[in-house]
Amino acid sequence: MQVAVDGPWSPLLGRLSLAAIPYDNPILVTTFAIVVVLAAVIVGAAFYFGKVGYIWREWITTVDHKKIGVMYIILGLVMLFRGFMDGAMMRTQQLLADGPASPGYLGAQHGYLPPYHFDQIYTAHGTLMLFFAATPLVAGLGNIIIPLQIGARDMAFPYLNATSLWLTMAGAALCMISLFVGEFSNATWVGLMPFSEMPFNPGVGVDYWMWAFQLSSLGTTFNAINMIATIVKMRAPGMSWFRMPVYCWSSLTTNIIGLTIFPVVTVALTMLGIDRYFGTHFFTAGYGGNFMLYINLFWIWGHPEVYFLMLPAFGLFSEIVPTFSNKALFGYATMVAASFSIGGIGWVVWAHHFFTMGMGPQLNGYFSAATMIVGIPTGVKAFNWLFTMYRGRITFATPMLWAIIGLVLLLVGGLTGMMLSASVFDYTVHDSLFVVAHFHCMVLVIGSALFAAVTYWWPKVFGFKLDEVNGRLYYFTFVVASLLVFVPLFYLGFAGVTRRLDYIYNPDLKSLLWVSEGGIGVYFISLFFFLKMLYISLRDQIPAASDSWGTGRTLEWLTHTPVPFYNFAVTPQINSRDELAWRKANGVENVQPTQYVPIHLPNSTAVPFLIGALSAVFGFAITWRIWWLSIASLAAIVIIIIIRSFDKNEGYVLSAEEIARLESRPDLASIIAEQPKRSSLAHVEAI
Amino acid sequence: MSTHYDPLEHPEVQQGSAGRYLAAFVASAALMGGAYYASTQKLPLVEFAATAAVLSLAALVSQLFLFFGLNASQAQIWKSISLFLAIPLFIVTIGLTVWAFSSLYARTMPMDGMLMSGQPTLLQ
Amino acid sequence: MATNYAKAEPSALWNPSADEHDPISARTYGFWLYLLSDALIFTSLFASYAVLDNPSNAAGGPLAAGAINVSHGLLQTFIILASVLAYSLATVSMKNGNKAGLTLGIILAMVLGGAFLYISGADLWALAAQGNGPTRSAFLSIFFTLLLTHGLHIVIGLLWMVIMLVQISVFGFTKDVVGRLLNLRLFWQFQATIWVCVYFYVYLLGGAV
Repeated sequence: MQVAVDGPWSPLLGRLSLAAIPYDNPILVTTFAIVVVLAAVIVGAAFYFGKVGYIWREWITTVDHKKIGVMYIILGLVMLFRGFMDGAMMRTQQLLADGPASPGYLGAQHGYLPPYHFDQIYTAHGTLMLFFAATPLVAGLGNIIIPLQIGARDMAFPYLNATSLWLTMAGAALCMISLFVGEFSNATWVGLMPFSEMPFNPGVGVDYWMWAFQLSSLGTTFNAINMIATIVKMRAPGMSWFRMPVYCWSSLTTNIIGLTIFPVVTVALTMLGIDRYFGTHFFTAGYGGNFMLYINLFWIWGHPEVYFLMLPAFGLFSEIVPTFSNKALFGYATMVAASFSIGGIGWVVWAHHFFTMGMGPQLNGYFSAATMIVGIPTGVKAFNWLFTMYRGRITFATPMLWAIIGLVLLLVGGLTGMMLSASVFDYTVHDSLFVVAHFHCMVLVIGSALFAAVTYWWPKVFGFKLDEVNGRLYYFTFVVASLLVFVPLFYLGFAGVTRRLDYIYNPDLKSLLWVSEGGIGVYFISLFFFLKMLYISLRDQIPAASDSWGTGRTLEWLTHTPVPFYNFAVTPQINSRDELAWRKANGVENVQPTQYVPIHLPNSTAVPFLIGALSAVFGFAITWRIWWLSIASLAAIVIIIIIRSFDKNEGYVLSAEEIARLESRPDLASIIAEQPKRSSLAHVEAI
Repeated sequence: MSTHYDPLEHPEVQQGSAGRYLAAFVASAALMGGAYYASTQKLPLVEFAATAAVLSLAALVSQLFLFFGLNASQAQIWKSISLFLAIPLFIVTIGLTVWAFSSLYARTMPMDGMLMSGQPTLLQ
Repeated sequence: MATNYAKAEPSALWNPSADEHDPISARTYGFWLYLLSDALIFTSLFASYAVLDNPSNAAGGPLAAGAINVSHGLLQTFIILASVLAYSLATVSMKNGNKAGLTLGIILAMVLGGAFLYISGADLWALAAQGNGPTRSAFLSIFFTLLLTHGLHIVIGLLWMVIMLVQISVFGFTKDVVGRLLNLRLFWQFQATIWVCVYFYVYLLGGAV
């Protein structure tokens, strides 16, 4: 029943052999050299400065939601860079391969990327950007901020939280390894059928993609469980549902979506996996396979997924706009209702991704109408942000600048989305660059929100603000670059350029392609300013106040800056929506607790990291069909989980005196500071 | 975690009741047995499908209240709310998929079902 | 295991006694959320089943009527419901602090679960042996996948029961052990609920057409 594979297979190494290493591809060899040098520098620095133990104890084995969030964000930013490089390569290829007279380099007939390599690049671009850049950035921010905004000490399940992080890292590791050992999928980030099946894709590429996707999905599902349980069960006393910040409401909706959609894509991918490994016929060409079933299941996940990424962005705007308008959010109740409406409607509109399948006019009509309806709650949100700004005292700090451009891009992306939702229009531009431009506009809205949020909450987490001057330069160049790259794509889509083309037949389109390429160049300049901003901020580290922007309204600004690892010394009692604004209005924002009580916190553990590492090994082994290693790593994961369940795992206690000491020295309590080993609870109780 | 409490005092442990569980078993077994009996009666398809659906739904509901113990009490309310918010998704996933594919099959494979063994299927 | 913390007075701004949250409720709620996602896995499988239960997806092979044994299905239904009853009654023993009753109930649940697997496995094996295995057609692929996914849940449940038997004897009724037993009860009841859906969808409807 096991599918026989092309090429040699050995019991020890499966399909793996030296031929899997792409020595002859100069692009990959150069990339490998750069990665090795960077890794050597980072690891070398860790050893040189004696930080290896610190990194293991404080970061890799941590279950603290803030550190986990920071690691998610680091992963997201690194993968954003790699995804950007993939995108840059694609735009350059299309520019160079324009017209039959265009020259070919490096073995390509036109441009510099042969089709097989180009296909892997756009597949990797989509996969990386969605699962390993956007999702970790969204998850990371939620991880850091939500417990602080609801006054909790940590997430509901800290151990599960760490496991989610390391599973996501494992998926990212598989994607990175695929660069240098074997190949990545060339079947698009969606995984088109029957193209992804064995007869058409006998290599390991699709398997790498499938397992990376599965691991990331598992991490996201666990994260969703954690977030929902945290928001439902762990709000501080007095924080009733309607006193909760809108970002938490958005995250609740987001994670309900996440919890319910990822199982569907898990099933779709598992069916593909069974087809590829065991020879079943879910999506094969023949034996009754049904390609559109995959597409149907995939987009049941795929459409709500975009709301999974977008709703947190909306929630972030709902935090930033009121703060920098120094005014409460307009229309709290309608914002909450709009979030749930978007979530609910977003769940029932998936077939607009395949209007052209041929379901018929009734179904196309239903899906068109339902898709258009989602514009109503989205519009409610956009107007609420505008009404919040109206008659507010606006500060144009960098986060506010990002939020404003996000609203503008939402308008452009949203309107083009409304155009696409009409199935008759969609028939003319389905799978063209018009669609690509539309969703990249939406992605830029998410990106704006994420950059705004990282800048906004950076001082809370690290104790100093990011440099404003270079932050603005980064912002302006990024916005200009985005417009230059994506606006031409709308025109190109109308001109008939379909997606995923490694060669463009019409040389008259050259000028638009040049504009797009110019945008790529400006992106590189913005990257320079981003790095310069980080460098200057880290060099100067000008201490920020507890309420770093001066106009904070929500609970997280009540903690010290940088936020201590235990969040609040004493759990706050909530009196109102926008608790900090209420306290400021009543003159009590500086009142500290008079008495401390001991705090019980969970221990660090190496198990989540081990689960992640073993999952990466499992993913690699099963991709290469190294059966013994697959079984061994899977068994090891199960055994570790079982063994860990026998660990009493009582955590440790921070005594009241210890807390008093840390409260007077916030720099000792920050998440960067190294903490001494504290006795476990069991030990304390034994006394 | 300051005050010590006996885990066995927790409401979800205390909610267990032999009477309710036995009732759940009897109800579900009887309802599914009834559905099986209906299947032996050679009813027309639509009638049988409706009967079996009602009986199975009743079995599911009895399990929700009698086995899982879902209700509006403080210990169970969030489970109940979460389930009821998820139920529309189950219906929509299967319902819209079936609608879309039966329409697709009708438009793209009109002769199908007549050439084959002639068995009617779930989609028709 | 009691610890004595100073009781500070809650004021309008800070609430020192607020750290006591109920870990068992959080645990079972989180597990319930997981079960909802599991229900969506089965929903997708049912949706796929509805699509593939069609002569054009049968590649000349059997559809449901040719693949199932309706009376075996009924027997399996009774057995799995009895297994859930056994485990649930075991948790009633736990409520009364009765370790022996709990252990006995779990073992009975395991035996019945094993019986279910045996009948199901034998039927599927026979089907495959006559040439109608999961690689025969798309319909048979989804048929086997749906039934085996449910069966996998039973296998995991049985493994979990073994581990709990060990933990009950080693640790007794700690909050972790009690929380896990409650989760296992939810899991076991859940898979029986799913089975009712499978029985209805595959056996009753499939056998009727």
